Amino acid sequence: MASVLRSSILRHTRVPISTTLTLNESKLIAVRSMSSYGDVHLDKQEVIGRVLDVVKSFPKVDPSKVTPDVHFQKDLGLDSLDNVEIVMALEDEFKLEIPDKEADKIDSCHLAVEYIDNHPMAG
Amino acid sequence: MSVASASYLARRAAQKERVRILYRRALKDTLNWAVHRHLFYPDADALREKFEANRSVDDIETIDRMIAAGEATHNKWRHPDPYIVPWAPGGSKFCRNPTPPEGVID
Repeated sequence: MASVLRSSILRHTRVPISTTLTLNESKLIAVRSMSSYGDVHLDKQEVIGRVLDVVKSFPKVDPSKVTPDVHFQKDLGLDSLDNVEIVMALEDEFKLEIPDKEADKIDSCHLAVEYIDNHPMAG
Repeated sequence: MSVASASYLARRAAQKERVRILYRRALKDTLNWAVHRHLFYPDADALREKFEANRSVDDIETIDRMIAAGEATHNKWRHPDPYIVPWAPGGSKFCRNPTPPEGVID
C-alpha cells in the first residue's frame, strides 16, 4: 500500500529528463573564439567580403572593378608577380600558410574564396 | 628551332613558375628580415625592381642561368628563424595537441 502511494507520488513529482539545450529550435553551438584548432569555420559571405577588401586595397587595382568573379591577370590587368603579392596579402589576412604549389594556382577571386572557405584553419 | 614548339613552351612555363615561387620565397624572407612594415615596403619595392629589370629577357639559357643565380642569392640570404604560422609544419603548435582517435572521448 505504502509502495503504491510512494510510486504514485514519485510519478507526479519526478522531474522529466531534460532534453538537450535548445535555443530557437537549434542546438546551442559552443563558440570557441580563441580555439586554434579550426573547429569554428568562417561564414562564406565574410570570407568574400574580406577577400574583396584585400584585393581592393592593392595599390595597382581599381577598386570599382573588383567583383567576386574577377580574374587577377585577365580582368584586373595585373602581373603574375602581382598575383604572388595578392596571395601573400591573403595569407596575412587569414593567418594561413599556403604551400607554394597551391599558391601558384590561385589566379582569381573565385579560386581564392574557394580555397579559403575549404581550409580548416582559416582565421 | 621552332619558336612555338611544345617543349619550348613547356620549358618557358616551368621557368615562369620557378620565377613566381622564387619571388614568393624572397618576399617572405624580406618580411622575415624587415619585420616592421615601414621597413618592409621599401625593401619589397627594391626586390620587385630587381625582378622587373630582367623582365624582357628572352633567351632561354640566360633565363635559366639568372634563375639559378637568383635562387643561390636567396639561399644565402635565408632567415635562420622564419615566421611560420603556428599550426603549419615548422610552427610552434604543429602536432602539439593532435585530435584524439574516435571513441576515446565522448
